[in-house]
Order: sequence, then structure tokens, then C-alpha cells
Amino acid sequence: MNIQPPNSSSIKSRFAVKFVQAMKRLSKRRGMGDRYKRYRATRAAARVSLAAAVGPERAWSRAVLRRIKKRRGLIGRTTTNPRRNLRGLVPGGKGMDYCSLLSETAHYITCLQAQVQVMQDMLHLSSP
Amino acid sequence: MEPNVEAVQPQFRSGISGTKPGGMGFVFDDIHGLIPGPPETDGTSFTALLELPPPQAVELLVKEDFPAKSMPPPIFPSNIALIDRASMFSVFASADNPPESTNILSVSSSMKTDSVKQEPLESEHHRNSSSPAVSNQSLKSIKRKEREKKVKESSKKSKKLEANEASDGSGEQLPYVHVRARRGQATDSHSLAERARREKINARMKLLQDLVPGCNKSLQISGTAMVLDEIINHVQALQRQVEFLSMRLAAVNPRIDFNLDALLAVESESSIDNSYLGMFPPSIWPEGQLNSSRQQQPWLLDGLHPGRVDDTSNFITQENSLLSYDSPPNSASLHSSQLKMEL
Repeated sequence: MNIQPPNSSSIKSRFAVKFVQAMKRLSKRRGMGDRYKRYRATRAAARVSLAAAVGPERAWSRAVLRRIKKRRGLIGRTTTNPRRNLRGLVPGGKGMDYCSLLSETAHYITCLQAQVQVMQDMLHLSSP
Repeated sequence: MEPNVEAVQPQFRSGISGTKPGGMGFVFDDIHGLIPGPPETDGTSFTALLELPPPQAVELLVKEDFPAKSMPPPIFPSNIALIDRASMFSVFASADNPPESTNILSVSSSMKTDSVKQEPLESEHHRNSSSPAVSNQSLKSIKRKEREKKVKESSKKSKKLEANEASDGSGEQLPYVHVRARRGQATDSHSLAERARREKINARMKLLQDLVPGCNKSLQISGTAMVLDEIINHVQALQRQVEFLSMRLAAVNPRIDFNLDALLAVESESSIDNSYLGMFPPSIWPEGQLNSSRQQQPWLLDGLHPGRVDDTSNFITQENSLLSYDSPPNSASLHSSQLKMEL
């Protein structure tokens, strides 16, 4: 309609590149033992890489990248916050009107699916 | 009668749901004389916002270009008697319908009540200018007939034409502004804008419904709470899945260096053959999870009910096969509701 639906494979490849780079950087950092921190950093890297792979086209990726730049409560979004509200789930969903919220949700769902597939492949490759 | 016609010139429109080639020609000649020469083709019509306008409910009296083309909108007198007579025949305005007058007796009988609907017609001008859109229009019109029909039975209002003229913009087809006023609906700019907005929302809800597995059961297009719930569940499930996967990846990370080339190769494979990836996970997941999750950070498993991990694994298995569109959608909602209860 307004903007085209995302090309899943291109998002997958872009996300894969960025995420692998982030994970390599993460593994080289000293402060990360076998700890909770590494989990949180991985989660953060996953989210950021996805938003970076999508780019500034969509409102939700812009919201994620904005949150990084402001360094505010970055990925302190509680794990699966019990928000039964679509606005709370989609990043940047608070300040949107309903129509754009729905389209952003659609795009967000496809990107999440792509992300899940890539991460699963990473797991399978690393420990078959 | 003729002074009436020239003076007021409202436009008249009624709902039709079927095409009946009718032999109403005999009455035409009466009314033919009443219709002023050139039809009005400018100004007072809207075209639908997102979808193409359903050229639904046009009741026209046909003039000399009766046989072949789609109709120019004639101008109806506001005389009730004439309108009653006029209600006896109605013509589809879309291109694929025969220009013969069609009559829905039920509609006409309902129309023979006191109030007369005057709604803006879509001008011939529009339709001719968007001829490639016409075929789409006809398709969409067929799709929208049922919805239109429901709308038609609603109450009718009579509105002045000038208000519509004032609120309408130019006669050309901007991609944004114009909205078709359907029969039985109000025609002021507020409700039109609202209707456009509603159509937008419905279209996007439909898109989301196609995206989320398990929403196609209910055949309604509207944004019921169920659909929204399903969407929310799906988003939450995907986010949880991402977290779970990142937890596992964090555990795997220090030992193995990530192989980017192989990953991209797998990704390009999956773009070629989508089912390939779908086959993998269900076979591998249960074993891999049960082994590695026990070895992993115990902090995460302590807080969790041990049953939850199994549920998650089952759920993720289902999710994976869902993502490859294999398993029936019922299980997804079942598992997600299970997980909800666990939480």
C-alpha cells in the first residue's frame, strides 16, 4: 500500500552479517564470563542488529535506533513485559496513530520471523 | 417538472445488488424528456481511498448512450413521484455490467418511502479517466457487494448537493483524498474521512491476519478482539523466541567462532527452498534443547518451572513448523495459551 512489504531474504542476510559481527565483538570483550551479562548483551545485539538491518525506513526501527542513541533504558525492556497491548510490544508504538501502528506491526512481524530463522540457523551451524 | 429539474438537480443513487436485464424501456421514454441534456460530470464525487471505488449503487436513468457505455450520471428531479418512478429502474455504473436498467424490487420498494436519498455520484469522468482501474473496480465491486448491501439497508439521509460540492476537491483522482460515498451513508466530510480511515484500518487488519498464522479461521475481515489478541500473542511469542535463542547463542558463543559464509549460504538456500528449513528444527530441537539447556546457565533454569522449558520447547517446535507453514494453526494458539497460563 504505502510502503512495500519487506523482502525477507535481504533482511535475513543483512541481519546475519550485522549480528555475527556483533557476536564476534562480544566474544572478544573481557567482561563477559559465563554470565548473565552475556545473555543480555546478546539480546541487545540481536535487537540492534535487526533494527540496523532494516534501516531508518520504518518507524519501529527508527524508534529502536533512537533509543540506542539516547542510551536510555536501552534494552531494559523487561523480558516479555506482560503488556497485553500492541503499542507496548512494537517498538515506538506509543506515539503512533492506529493505522500506522498496524502497518508497523505487520512489518515488525516479518522482520521478527526473519530474525528467528537466522538465529536458529546460527545455532544449528555452530552446534550440530 | 422541467423547471424542477433544472432548479434543484440533486443526484440520486440507490443500491443494486444484482443485475437483471429488464425490459423497462417503455418507461424510459417518459422520463427521458425530463432529463436535462448534458449530464453533470464534474465535482461532486469521491473515489475510494485505498481500494478502488466500488461502482455500486448507482441508479441512473439512461440517456442516448444507453446501449454501450457505462452511464453518465443523470440528474434526478426532486419530485417524489418522479423518483418513485425512477426507482423502478436502476443501472449499474460499472463497466462490466450491462447498461440495461436493472431493478431490485425490494430496493425500489424500500425506496418508495418518504425520504429520498441524494448522494453524490461518481462521475463518468472519473471512470473514463481511470480505465485500467475499471477492471479492478469491477473485481472489487463484486467483492464489496455484500458489504454494500448491508449498508444499503441502513437508513437513508438526504443531503444537499452543495455541501458535497464544497467538500470535494478537484475532479481528478488524487491518490489520497477521495472517498466514495456509498448508499445509505452520510456524506459530510467528517464521516467520509472516517470511513476512509476505517477502510484503511480494515485493509491493514486483513494484511495482519494473513501474516499471523491462526487468524484465518474467522472469516470476518473486521478487527475483532480475537484477531488483535492473536496478533499480540504472535508478536509476544516471536519476541520470546528471540530471547530464548539469544540465550542459547550466548552460551554457545565463547566456544565457537561464527561462520558467516556458511550462514549466508544457508540463508540463500532457504530463499530457494522454504520447506528445507522447516524440516530441520522439529527433529533437532528436542534433543539439542534438552541436552544443552541442562548444561547452561543454571540461573535461568532455577527461576523457571522445569515444566516450562519443555513447554517452551514444544511451543518452539510448533512455532517452527508454523513458520514453515506446515502444521495446522490450531496448535499454535493452543500452545501460546498454554504459555500464557504458565506465565
